Amino acid sequence: MSPGSKALAEFVAEATEILDALARDLLVLDERRGYEADPDLVNGIFRAAHSLKGLSGLFGQERISRLAHGTEDLLDRLRLGKLLLDGAVLDALIEALDAFQALLGEAARGTESESLSARVEAMAARMASMGAPTEVAADDPLDRLELEAQVRSVFTEYEEHRLRENVRRGVSLWRVRAAFDLSDFDKGLAELNARLKPLGEVISTLPSAQPGGAHGIAFDLIFGAQVDRVSLETGLKGTPAELSALTVRPAAAAATSALLQAAQPAATIRASGGAKSETRPGDAATHDGDAGSAQDAAAGGLAAPDVPVRVTDAAPEASRKGATPSRGSRSSAIRGTSADAKDSPVAGHSTSPKGGGKKKGARATPAAMPPEAQPPLLSHVPEDTEPGLLEWPTSDADVPANAGGSPSPTPVPGPSSVPVVAYLQGAAKASPKGLSVAPAAPAGAPVSAPAALTADTSLRSLTQTVRVDIGRLDGLINMVGELLLIKANLQRLAESARQDGAVALSKLFGQELARETRGLERKLEALQEGLLEARMVPVGQVFDKLARLVRRITREAGKEIELAISGGEVELDKLIVEELSDPLMHLIRNAIDHGVESPDARLAAGKPRRAVVGLRAEQKGNHVVIEVSDDGSGIDEVRVREVAITRGLITFAQAQEMSRRELLNLIFQPGFSTARSVSELSGRGVGLDVVKNNLGNLSGIIDVWSERGKGTAFHLTLPVTLAIIRALLVGVSGRTYAVPLNSVLEIISVQPKDIRTVERREVLDLRGQTLPFVRLSRMFALPERPVSRHFVVVVGLAQERLGIAVDELHGQQDIVTKPLGGRLQSVRGISGATDLGNRRTVLVLDVAALLEEGMAVERRRA
Amino acid sequence: MSRFSELLDDFFYRPDEDVSGLQDFAAGSDGVLPAAPEEVPEEYLAFRLEGECYAVPIRGVREISKVPPLTEIPRAEPQLLGVMNLRGELLPVYDVKMRLRLAERAPLVAGPDAPAPPRSARILVLRTETGPAGVWVDGVVGVVKLKPSMLEAPPPGMRVGDRDCVVGMGRRGPMLYILLDAEQALAP
Repeated sequence: MSPGSKALAEFVAEATEILDALARDLLVLDERRGYEADPDLVNGIFRAAHSLKGLSGLFGQERISRLAHGTEDLLDRLRLGKLLLDGAVLDALIEALDAFQALLGEAARGTESESLSARVEAMAARMASMGAPTEVAADDPLDRLELEAQVRSVFTEYEEHRLRENVRRGVSLWRVRAAFDLSDFDKGLAELNARLKPLGEVISTLPSAQPGGAHGIAFDLIFGAQVDRVSLETGLKGTPAELSALTVRPAAAAATSALLQAAQPAATIRASGGAKSETRPGDAATHDGDAGSAQDAAAGGLAAPDVPVRVTDAAPEASRKGATPSRGSRSSAIRGTSADAKDSPVAGHSTSPKGGGKKKGARATPAAMPPEAQPPLLSHVPEDTEPGLLEWPTSDADVPANAGGSPSPTPVPGPSSVPVVAYLQGAAKASPKGLSVAPAAPAGAPVSAPAALTADTSLRSLTQTVRVDIGRLDGLINMVGELLLIKANLQRLAESARQDGAVALSKLFGQELARETRGLERKLEALQEGLLEARMVPVGQVFDKLARLVRRITREAGKEIELAISGGEVELDKLIVEELSDPLMHLIRNAIDHGVESPDARLAAGKPRRAVVGLRAEQKGNHVVIEVSDDGSGIDEVRVREVAITRGLITFAQAQEMSRRELLNLIFQPGFSTARSVSELSGRGVGLDVVKNNLGNLSGIIDVWSERGKGTAFHLTLPVTLAIIRALLVGVSGRTYAVPLNSVLEIISVQPKDIRTVERREVLDLRGQTLPFVRLSRMFALPERPVSRHFVVVVGLAQERLGIAVDELHGQQDIVTKPLGGRLQSVRGISGATDLGNRRTVLVLDVAALLEEGMAVERRRA
Repeated sequence: MSRFSELLDDFFYRPDEDVSGLQDFAAGSDGVLPAAPEEVPEEYLAFRLEGECYAVPIRGVREISKVPPLTEIPRAEPQLLGVMNLRGELLPVYDVKMRLRLAERAPLVAGPDAPAPPRSARILVLRTETGPAGVWVDGVVGVVKLKPSMLEAPPPGMRVGDRDCVVGMGRRGPMLYILLDAEQALAP
């Protein structure tokens, strides 16, 4: 791999990761379309776009960089409340995501198409012109906050916006002053932030105006608390933090002064609050609360006054309660990205500050907030570390990396430290168990997918890297270390045996040797398990991509669909997850295009308007079962029969004899789907033969269930891993072969007299069903040996079954399959070979090929 | 070889004979230095197949292995003897005697009915365009250095089958080596 392509692979891997995070957040935004956007979410997307811009700029991917710049710009305006997140903006963002993916695909292939470049230009231009600047509300709530002008002046635009939002919503604001020793202030500050996070929002972190002593440094954290004073104080116990309230004057008094000191006598404020009693129905309660907190403050020996006065801002409240559309014109400038559904409890209690309501609101809010989402905090405190994650460099170190792109639209220091955070968050989300996959580009060409496939048609990752948790790697290294110890012991034993020469070895020696061997075996097993685990990725990786696809198809098809996903945490081998994406895409596409009826037809059939498409994964022993289901109209087997007869797949006479199940299985036949049935959206055979093939390659089994009017479900049964498989060892004519156990359904013992012939073809009667039957020795042209009974291994792959007669069964064993690569690719019926330890190579049967062969014989004769 | 030709052989110097001393002597005698370009000898690995001596360029030989237990591949072409496991690597082993018309059919060397291989038999692991491949040989003779001048075109009658597996003959002293094109000999 040349340095250039290696860099490109790295870029693609990282960009893919960013896009995945971006897509996840966008999906959440999209699901809550119509509600107000969560500021943390918008911030996350903004950071992802920003990192993507920096990254692509660094790697000279100009088109991605340009589009990312446009997206970032748009998101920045959203974030700062200059733009309202409406359907058009969201659609533009989702379109941009698709474009990013297409661009990345081209970048990985090293191509650049004109049409895409034009699309990028058009999209960037459209995003730039999107959304007229909204007029700033005349009444700035921030003016009512009593905060020093010099403090206000150092706020970034975003911090100011957040502060304004908090004031407007009536959250109690605090100044948390904390002094730390210079030697470890970063740790102290990080701990303080971690404590504060669940309690509310850290709006800004500023160096304190009061010096922290000769060897100390003090910070002022502007904090919007979601909890009352008492819980805030308990939450901060043990930290050097001192609390002081930031007072906010009621709306009427707003114009008087913006330059009052924060340290106002408590009485004054209480008095002014009391004066506005008509807007504060819970006056008495508030006074009680204040009195209580005053006592607390006295007990705690706090210097600063402590009156958490809530804003009782009647006007914005009214507009909030009023018709939602009108909000856009008047107050969107100040609201914008900030408030969303989850904030309403807080907003609600600000108008009626009763103890009960307040507590409820305070509890609900932190719970709803993702713990890692603290945008203002992160944008300002580079020393903070994400829990459980690797340390990241300070913001200074990041600036050059990101400064390579176009100029930052917001004032520093905000964005400069952001990309790393977004990156780490992305990693954290992608890896619930500390393992995530960062697909990396195979040197130039896309994996095994044909180069013609664009990002639109395949959900396969562009990259093939597995990201492994360092802890897991450490574990593996430790295991290797222990293996080396065992090796040393064995070496010592061998040496002593050699020196003893022909003298009979002692019993002790034998025991010691046996012990070491057992240890070796155990360690090797653990090592194998560890390595396999490192290959495992959650199947949710594919599910996330599919969720995006569903959103798009649903819109195109004009249907109303709810995607029910479960079991995303089930883990599968990375290879299988990758191979699985396309079959699942086909199945989901089928379910939406052909399975689910239009909303009107559903209502007519007495079903809910909204159809449910299910995507479930479940671990069952050594297998994972993935179910793709819909509650649509089901498969019309009569139509299937007609199509199969017209296509010449079956004869009329055969069709007469076929059961419903067999008819349903015809949809997996290649050639069942045609252009006609695709365009008519009538048949259900689109790409199902592809699905079957892909699953066959993974030793998977597919089953279809369908009931007219109730729906269809496909069950995909897959092995957890392909690297090491459990195999059944069988003997035929003195040779040994391995059959992957995941395709073995059962083993039956058969007397020669039980074998019947139908049209000179051997079949077995298996519980009333006719089972096609082949003798492996005849199939492989081996010298047949007379046996008194046959063992028949019933194998199944996809929906087909075949009995394979063998002479002997040797039991099960875990085997590592080596493919018959290179010169042997054309060998039929053998998928690989394995070593059983006695230096003899054992061939692994290719069950799919044998089935195909057996069935072909059957079809020819039929 | 008749006794007469042996005498002649002793009399005339052969192209591969070290005659530098003679040339110096000749140069000293009449002052005419024959313009003999320096020939770079190439190394070949010589091996036996059914008593005949064959050779392939040694660059194409990855290693020589003793015959491990071979596993036959059912329904494979007859010249594919089977597969072997060489330190965890799976290698196909081919028979070239059939192609060279040295044998009517491939020997039975793989599977449970195969007899133990002859002691001198070896598997040459050759590098081919489609990956490494093993070739059964009856015995390895050794490495020979052949200069381009020692090579001859194959005799016209030696063409075998539809392909030219034999690219030439190498003559060094009394020994005659049949030069094999491994790529062709292993082509399906």
